[in-house]
Amino acid sequence: MINNEIIAKAYSSINYVVAVTLFCIGLYALIIKPNLIKKFMGLNIIETSVFLFIISSGLVEGGIAPIYTKTTPANPVFVNPIPQALILTAIVVAVSTTALALSLMIKLYDQCGTLNANKLKELR
Amino acid sequence: MKRILTFFILFLLWLLMVSAVLALPPIGSETTPVTTHVIPRYLEQGVEEAGAENIVTCVILNYRGYDTMGEVTVIFCALIAVLAVVGREDPKLHTSKVDLVGIKESVIVKSVVRFLAPFIMLFAVYIMLHGKESPGGGFQAGAILGASIIIYTMTFSYELALSKFFVKVRTLMEGAGPIAFFACGVVALFYNQNFLTYIIPGLDPVTQTAMRSLMIEIIEVGIGIGGGTVISSIFLAMEKVEK
Repeated sequence: MINNEIIAKAYSSINYVVAVTLFCIGLYALIIKPNLIKKFMGLNIIETSVFLFIISSGLVEGGIAPIYTKTTPANPVFVNPIPQALILTAIVVAVSTTALALSLMIKLYDQCGTLNANKLKELR
Repeated sequence: MKRILTFFILFLLWLLMVSAVLALPPIGSETTPVTTHVIPRYLEQGVEEAGAENIVTCVILNYRGYDTMGEVTVIFCALIAVLAVVGREDPKLHTSKVDLVGIKESVIVKSVVRFLAPFIMLFAVYIMLHGKESPGGGFQAGAILGASIIIYTMTFSYELALSKFFVKVRTLMEGAGPIAFFACGVVALFYNQNFLTYIIPGLDPVTQTAMRSLMIEIIEVGIGIGGGTVISSIFLAMEKVEK
């Protein structure tokens, strides 16, 4: 079932495979860990894997950064600017959601004294 | 048991997703759908049309200006939500847990931070102003600026940081990103052009490009100042405890 062709294909798109693996690791943390902060760290790992996936799709073989300078050659090959722009904005949104979630957790810890999801379920 | 079951299901999901990504075009080829539609136009005409040598800045602030404007508003809304949940800090009432416990940083850390903090802020200003023609821009500058304020607060005391970065001044600066974006975008509306196109008809092309570059620069500065103060305000509001 697994032959040399599939291994070569996986090696050529190793970034995608790593992104998928990171996604599964983050999902595992999100499901298994009882601590809310650890759950949110899992969600952040998932976000990072999506960033890696999208930014990898913008690579062009032999491309340079999409900036016109004095040393840019005549017919330049640039990498794709759109995934970079998308991820640049997505990172900041990730920071915003993290800040909001952490502030909610601070308030929750003040009120209930625990961040364990199983204990919080029993509290009502 | 639950762990083993979850692991098994996630392994099946992993196999499914790996088989899906292996069917995608390989990384680095020029013929993937991602690189074929609008990218050639952006790369060839971006400098004239959008007014920045850095094509990523062109895409962020001009071609996809609506996206970025909404996203700057998202940061601002995150700050408002955090302040609604935990509340704004008050120098008279609040201090940080580190100050209460009384952990003393070593002399080496304090000296290095005292020496480096101004240069980190200077670097943030450099990144902010050079987003047009080199890697950088408002968001990165905001992150560096916020990080410098955070490292200052962690090393010295919370009260010292509050006496340097006043609440009232930060309140005025937090909205700088959306305000700069809206102010520059709305100029074109007065000349019957579309929102966020930065077009002023009746100017010769050179002046028009210069005008557009100036507006992009203003937006970068606004995003940088706004982002930095928002990050530091979120940090300072979450760090506080009652005295």
